[in-house]
Amino acid sequence: MTELSLFEKTSSYDGVYMTLMVNRIQMLYFAIIMPVFLIYPYMIWMIIIVGGLSQVSIFMLSKWFTSKYASKGYEGFVDLFGERMVRLLSFIGIGFILLKVTVITLGYVEVVQHFIFPAVNTNWMILFILLICWYVASLGMNSTIRFIVIAFLFTAPMLLLLLKFPFQPFATIHDLFPLIPYEWTMKSWKSVLFIWSALSGPEYLVLLAPWFNTREKILKYMTIGNTFTVFEYLFIFIASLFFFGSHYLGENKLPVVEMIRYLNFPVFERIDIIFISVYLFHFVFAISIFLLLFYGAIRITLKKSKVQTTRLGFALCCSTIILCLMILNEMLWKKATNQNILLELAIWAGALTYLFVPLFLFLSLKRKVRD
Amino acid sequence: MFWKGTSTSVRISTEQAQHTPITLEVIRERLGNMEDAEIIEHQTPNVSTIILVYIRTLIDNERLNESVIQPLRNCSNENQLECISATNIPGTLTVEEAEKQLMLGSILIFDTDENQWCSVNLKDSSGRAIETSETETILYGAKDSFTENIEQNIALIRRRLPITTLKTEKFTVGSLTETNVVLMYIEGITNTKFITIAREKIKNVNFDQILDSSQLAAFMEDHTHTVFPQFQQTDRPDVCAFALGVGKLVILVDNTPFALNAPITFFHLFQSPEDYINRWIVASFLRIIRYLSFMFSLLMIPLYVALTTHHYQMIPLQILFVLVDTRSQLPLSPFWESLIMLVTIEIIKEASLRMPTKSGQTLGVIGGIVVGQAAVEAGFASQVLIVLVGISAIASFLVPNYLMSKANTLIQFILLILASYLGVMGIFMGILLLFVHMNALTSLKQPYLVPVTPFYGKDWLDLFIRGPLQWMKTRPEALHPLQKWRYSRRR
Repeated sequence: MTELSLFEKTSSYDGVYMTLMVNRIQMLYFAIIMPVFLIYPYMIWMIIIVGGLSQVSIFMLSKWFTSKYASKGYEGFVDLFGERMVRLLSFIGIGFILLKVTVITLGYVEVVQHFIFPAVNTNWMILFILLICWYVASLGMNSTIRFIVIAFLFTAPMLLLLLKFPFQPFATIHDLFPLIPYEWTMKSWKSVLFIWSALSGPEYLVLLAPWFNTREKILKYMTIGNTFTVFEYLFIFIASLFFFGSHYLGENKLPVVEMIRYLNFPVFERIDIIFISVYLFHFVFAISIFLLLFYGAIRITLKKSKVQTTRLGFALCCSTIILCLMILNEMLWKKATNQNILLELAIWAGALTYLFVPLFLFLSLKRKVRD
Repeated sequence: MFWKGTSTSVRISTEQAQHTPITLEVIRERLGNMEDAEIIEHQTPNVSTIILVYIRTLIDNERLNESVIQPLRNCSNENQLECISATNIPGTLTVEEAEKQLMLGSILIFDTDENQWCSVNLKDSSGRAIETSETETILYGAKDSFTENIEQNIALIRRRLPITTLKTEKFTVGSLTETNVVLMYIEGITNTKFITIAREKIKNVNFDQILDSSQLAAFMEDHTHTVFPQFQQTDRPDVCAFALGVGKLVILVDNTPFALNAPITFFHLFQSPEDYINRWIVASFLRIIRYLSFMFSLLMIPLYVALTTHHYQMIPLQILFVLVDTRSQLPLSPFWESLIMLVTIEIIKEASLRMPTKSGQTLGVIGGIVVGQAAVEAGFASQVLIVLVGISAIASFLVPNYLMSKANTLIQFILLILASYLGVMGIFMGILLLFVHMNALTSLKQPYLVPVTPFYGKDWLDLFIRGPLQWMKTRPEALHPLQKWRYSRRR
């Protein structure tokens, strides 16, 4: 197999890219299922509060981006933690990346099956989507990062579709009450955890630091991305409350798409089919980035980070992911009813990584400065 | 096939070939079996013999008489060659150099008394007169277009940019054709990175025949396996002058009336010279129409196939009634119906291009109306599809770049196949792959989707819309011009 330059750094990207990446990585599959996890109107405040807390993680991540270690990439991590530790962390990271890819891919495929192709075998969809991601990722990190602009331009305006819901005759302000909780249950805590997990994702961007121009005002751009995400989540949740009402919201498995299903234009009556198809841009972008990170993490774990990337190595990684996804789809996702173990795991994993990765990096930087 | 390997190629050592000393015998030998080669002995008033060697078909015979024969007849100097103006007397002339000079339209003069060779350039520069552009016609604006004469083409650009910073670098490419190629740029505006890349690419062209600018482009492209052109071909000097002014390069190829502009982006292929002539609101509207037409021409037929094959539920009831009614008698599936009609329309389009103008028009009418009507009546295609194919075909003509409109057709076929298998999802998969592919493309190492990605906000003023010229104070950032501001006096 011939050599392949996947991690070549030919250009550095400015803060706009950081804004778009933070936003899009936070708006993955969880945005589609979010209202069903929150249900109660007072979760509007929770989205704002957790969004504010997310800013703390963003602040810590921005410290990493502006440090001298960030631009060195792998070498920077080695300087900070030592090679053995970096390999161990990479090994742990492989599991987290795989889980993230699994949930967003299988989640999206389930949406496709539910709304577009009810009779199709989901394994075919997994194969098609991952083959596209394979192609995208094989063009290299530079090209994949650049693709964020297209992914953003195609998917972010889809939010405008929801503008109609607050102004429908059935939408009343009472749907947003109570704004103060009567009681605080375990389920409410879980919703908070979910919001935190939904906002996770930017922690993976620390691995892309060499491709970003760290001299830019990175905190400002990351904050814009995070704020935009909070606004999007709020808007989706409020629109769902108006459409379904608090009582009925929990009954839907995929409330956002169900909601869009009721929209129609004079030419197309089912906008949701277009909505889901366009969302492919978003998912393909994210999965491609994670594919590259997965391959990079495996190379570090196997102590091959200084060896040239190869088509064979990358093909093996992609094939492994395809195989894993198909197995997990058959064994866990398809059989999941009320309790989807993979989804639960992904929520916890997202929350943990978003809490500890920035904190760990921040403390390590502090310790290094003190030493 | 059995002869494979029996042919032997003869390679002459370059060193040896470049140092063959010139003699009349060697020249005679080299020009053997060339009916249009002339070797004439001429007696001068001093009773010395001058030998003239030239290729009759390549030189201007009138100028030969005026510049060489007449001066020699009237010459009383001891050194005959001094009587001829514009004479090039080299230190030593090799046979290969002499051969090259002859083939470029020079005449070799040999003074037998002095045993000295010289050359006079008498190249016949007559050619086609400057005419109106046929490929990029516009209503208002300049009407002149390039010809096959490279020097005339340079002059056409120089007239528009009368500045000494407009530089021209000459190269020769093609071992058989020895084609002259001129690289043009404005020093101090065009980024030196592009100049270096283009220079290297031209120098590295290693092919025997370069007969056209598109052939040169094929060797200079960053990506061979793509349907998207990476150089903009134009026969309009005003387009080239504008491109140079904003920081691009222009490459002229001898005997080709089409210049190459680079680096370009996907969006440049939707820009017309008329965009900068119309009022900005009108120009912006027309540009948006062009983008929409491109989308229509790509998506209409695949969408028809996707909806009628997979997603009937997406079609409003009133339209569905019409569709079901028109399709009820058809034996073919929407995919085959569309494929046949698309191939037919492509055949008609190609045929009307290759035919004489008047026959082409007749063919268009026959193809468009008679074949379409007959296909419906015969039950091969539905009326709805005929309408869609018609709109799609007309929309494809709105793309100003011919190469792009051809690429358009291929992409449409791919989307059609994807739509027939995966419906709307397949179409979006196709569009996604298209964008991913374009995102990875470059033109002179410059990203193809710039200024969308990499993102340059200021350049959006002349992207999907054409903003007022007064607002375009800076040259496109994406081209990294060395001189950013477009106005000379600060306001």
